[in-house]
Order: sequence, then C-alpha cells, then structure tokens
Amino acid sequence: MPRIRLRYYALLREQAGRQEETVETAARTPAALYQELILRHGFRLPQAQLKVAVNAAFTDWTYALADGDEVVFIPPVAGG
Amino acid sequence: MNGFEFTHRPIDAAALTGSLADPAAGGFAAFEGWVRDHNDGRRVARLEYEAFEELALREGRRIVAEAIRRHGARRAHCVHRLGALEVGELAVWVGVASAHRAEAFAACRQIIDEIKHLVPIWKKEHFDDGDSGWVNCAHCAEAAQAPGFDYSRQIALPEIGAAGQRRLAESAVVVVGAGGLGCAVLAGLAGAGVGTLVIVDHDVVEPANLHRQPLYSTNDIGRPKAGAAASRLAAYNPTIQLRPLPVRLTPANAAGLVAQGDVVVDCSDNFATKFLVNDAAVLAGRPAVLASVYQYEGQLQVVRPDADGSCLRCQWPEATRDGLVGNCAESGVIGPVPAVLGNLQAMEVLKLLLGLPGQLRNELLLVDLLDLSQRRLQAPRAPECKGRCARIAELAAPVPAGTLEVSVSLAEAALQGYRIIDIREPDECLALPMPLPGHEAIPLGQLLDGATRLDPGLRYLLVCSSGRRSLAAAELLRADDQGNVWSLRGGLTVTMRTQNAK
Repeated sequence: MPRIRLRYYALLREQAGRQEETVETAARTPAALYQELILRHGFRLPQAQLKVAVNAAFTDWTYALADGDEVVFIPPVAGG
Repeated sequence: MNGFEFTHRPIDAAALTGSLADPAAGGFAAFEGWVRDHNDGRRVARLEYEAFEELALREGRRIVAEAIRRHGARRAHCVHRLGALEVGELAVWVGVASAHRAEAFAACRQIIDEIKHLVPIWKKEHFDDGDSGWVNCAHCAEAAQAPGFDYSRQIALPEIGAAGQRRLAESAVVVVGAGGLGCAVLAGLAGAGVGTLVIVDHDVVEPANLHRQPLYSTNDIGRPKAGAAASRLAAYNPTIQLRPLPVRLTPANAAGLVAQGDVVVDCSDNFATKFLVNDAAVLAGRPAVLASVYQYEGQLQVVRPDADGSCLRCQWPEATRDGLVGNCAESGVIGPVPAVLGNLQAMEVLKLLLGLPGQLRNELLLVDLLDLSQRRLQAPRAPECKGRCARIAELAAPVPAGTLEVSVSLAEAALQGYRIIDIREPDECLALPMPLPGHEAIPLGQLLDGATRLDPGLRYLLVCSSGRRSLAAAELLRADDQGNVWSLRGGLTVTMRTQNAK
C-alpha cells in the first residue's frame, strides 16, 4: 500500500497529538484519506472547513495520491 | 464645563478653575503650558499656533471625555490658544476636578499628553535671528528632549539608501487590529519610519492582553487600543504621523479605510475581519499582508490586487465562520508567536514599499515555532476567483446577530425559561465551571454532529467562553431548522465580569 507522509497544523495537530506521521493507506484521494483520519484521530473539523496541499502545493480533494506523497491538511486560523 | 476649545484671546486660568467647581470634588489638578524663550538651543521671540479646527475639536473633545471616563474624574476641561503669542503667555490649560487627587493628576496628565500627540495643531516659531519655522506639535514635546530619530543604520543597507528612506516617509500603512500581531507590526513600521500609520481597532486594553502586547502597560487598561498604541508610538518615534481610529472595520467603512494606505496589514483575530480586509484590499487595489496565529504556529499570506495575484478567497472561497476554530482566548497563545508573525508581516510590508526582492507572492507560509520548521505552500490564483473578491455587499449582511444573541445574566435566562447548554470542551468546563447549576454540558462537536436533537418545544441558550462558538453553533443549528436556539452574547467572560462588578 502507498505510504503517505502527513503533517498536521493547529487544531489537527492538537487532536492528532502529533505533528507528523507516515501512514500506509488504501485511500486514493486526500478526501478518502481524511475520512480515515477522522476515525483514527477523532478529527472534529469537517472537510469543508479545510484545505489540502500535496507536495507543498494546494490541490483539490480528488487528487490521485501516490507513494511517497506529503500531504498537509490546513485548518483556517484566525488568532491575532 | 466639560470639553475642549480653542481661543484667540488670552486664557483666564482663574475663571476656568472656577468653572470646574463641583461640591463632590475633593481634588483639582491643572496643567499650564507656557511659551518659553528657547527651543532646540535657539532663542524664541514669539509663537503662532494654527489648528485644523474641525478635526482638532472633535479629537480634543474625545480625549477629554475619554480621560474623564477612564479615570472616573468629575469634570475636566482643556483650552488651547491659537494665533500669535508672546514669550511667557499661557498656550494651553488643562484642569480636572475629581473626588480624589490621584484621578485628577492621572486624567490631567493623560489629557495634555494626548492633546500634544494626537491633535492636529502646528506652531510657528519666530526666532530672535528673524528666522521662523513650523513644527507639528506632535513633535514639539519630544523634539526638545530627543536628539532626533536616526535612520542611518537602515539607510546603510544598499537596497534602501536615502531614496528608500524618503519613500518610507512618504508611505502610509493601515493596520487593522492592534493586538499581538498588531503591536509587532506597528513597532516595526514605526521604527522603520513609515510616514503615516493608521491604527484601526475598536477594542480596549484588557489585563489578559498585556503578556503579548508590549505597546500597552497596566496604566492603559480600559483605554481604547488605537489611542493607547498611538500615544506610545508617538513617544517612540516623533517623526511619524499616527491616525488612531477606534472603530470596528465594517463592510460600510472597509474600502474607505483600506484606501487610506499604500498597504493594509491584517492583524485581526477573526475570520469576518480577515475576509473583509481581503475583499476591501482587492476592491481598493491595495496589497494586503495577512497573518494569523494558533498556539505555537502561524500563517502568513500576501494578497496582491494585480492580474495574477491570488487572494484569500482563491483558497477559501467562502468566508470561514468564526467560532469553529479557537481564537487566542480559547486556545491559548504565548507572546513570541504573534511577535514573530507580526515582524514577518512588517518585513513583507517594507519589502512591498521599498520594492525589495523575495516578496511572498501566491504562497502561504506556515511557521511552527515549536520545531522551528517553516513551509511555503504554493497558493496560486484560482481561475474561477475573478470577481469573487468583491463580496463586501454580501458580508454586509452576514448574520442576523441581533436576533441570535441575547445579553442576559444566566440567572435571568433561567427565569425567562431558557434551557442553558454549556458547549465548551470538558477541560474548559473544569477550568472555569459554570457559575450556576441546572445546565446541560454538550461540547460543540457533539451538539453539531446531529446525534443530539433539541426539543422543538423548548428555548435553548448556548454558552461558551467568549460567545463566538455559541453564535456559530446557533447559526448552524438554525440553518438545520432548529429555530429555538440563541447564543449568550460575550459568553461566560462577560457574564462573570458583569456579575463580579455588581
């Protein structure tokens, strides 16, 4: 199964209890991967509130994931 | 007599003192500013004062009223001379009557300091040698003591030089939000010599701001941040102009305010304002430098109004609702994090004004101060974003907040038949328990996941710490046809403060 590197920020980092991890996943898209992570880490932010970047570029939720990709889910933050 | 006025005739201090007589006042303090015979080592023969009267009167009255309110003084008045004055004449008089001497001294000091710093009054000095020159009074007090503000160390940078320094002096920057980010941005830009800083912030200084907002001191508590920041920065760098605007950025005023600067900097702490700054900047054709922090992390983005520049809505087409992710009050924050992000913003502003290389463009910078990592994510312009930015009208009617929020004490709410739901997370409830029994605790996530159905026959009042999450939750529940939910305005913080004050 493809190995995907994950990096978490803000609320997601808190809820996952870690800053990064590598997962083996059958998920083919960031959307499917996020659904897996909701189960694994109990993420409470709905996907619609997030953006996703693969290999340091914003992309859409149907991007075809490949082995070795680095995925970052970005929650909006507003603190000032 | 409470207020501020100009006069072209000699000031009668005794009559003014008499006019402040008040049987409840046990203390009276006055300050008199006299025309002295020297300035900057030169002999002064006489002076002329001139003011932009309409604005100066409004600003002067605001300063006096604010000092009375803040220090709890009974009465206060200030008179400033205009026209030609001889050495020894009384140029400005301030008097404050109050119950005790401490308030009288403090209010009097605040009034004269702010009149000097913030009111548009100019003086023309006629020297003994026949020479003369105009000075903005904002500079008078400091100019005498400070040997001048010296930019030579930054002029020494080859990319800046004297021409760059002049460009900074001719520039204006609008800073929205004078909190943790804003303090760093303002200090950085004031030090660099940006000629005009417009400070937009409608909040007052609170004790919980001080640890990360070093422009304020404990003496500023209760004072509007815009004015407090302007006073501090005027004392720091008397060579720049400060325009404090203690107003909230709204869809009605955003485009006009943003257009007052060459660049706008978003240092606000809520999504509604961030999107408003983005939209107004695109509409007004000004670049915007936006940042946000969350605990130990921050995000930085520069929005360009040009043809292929991306904006906030290229990534987030719909404005994010406030309340769904935490703010500083809810999530916690430590000073250096907004300070670092604010300084990054100040640097991007200077790069824009000076045309320096390496400007952040069509990218989102993520900074993590725990592991000291940073990432630049490409955030290109969304092809379908054209025109999306012009959503100010849409933002103008965001939420029918008046109908969703109620301001009551929890005890009154219970008497009025509201079922009270505490939507905070369990650890928050432990840290600050509800001051009243008889409520339900249902964390926000649980309330919104659909598992909890509210009884349509009851009225519910949602409570969180600041009133933001509860408002977002009430909006979402209403959108889900659960029309019997309201949000406690200001949340527990305000409720408990009001209770303590009673």
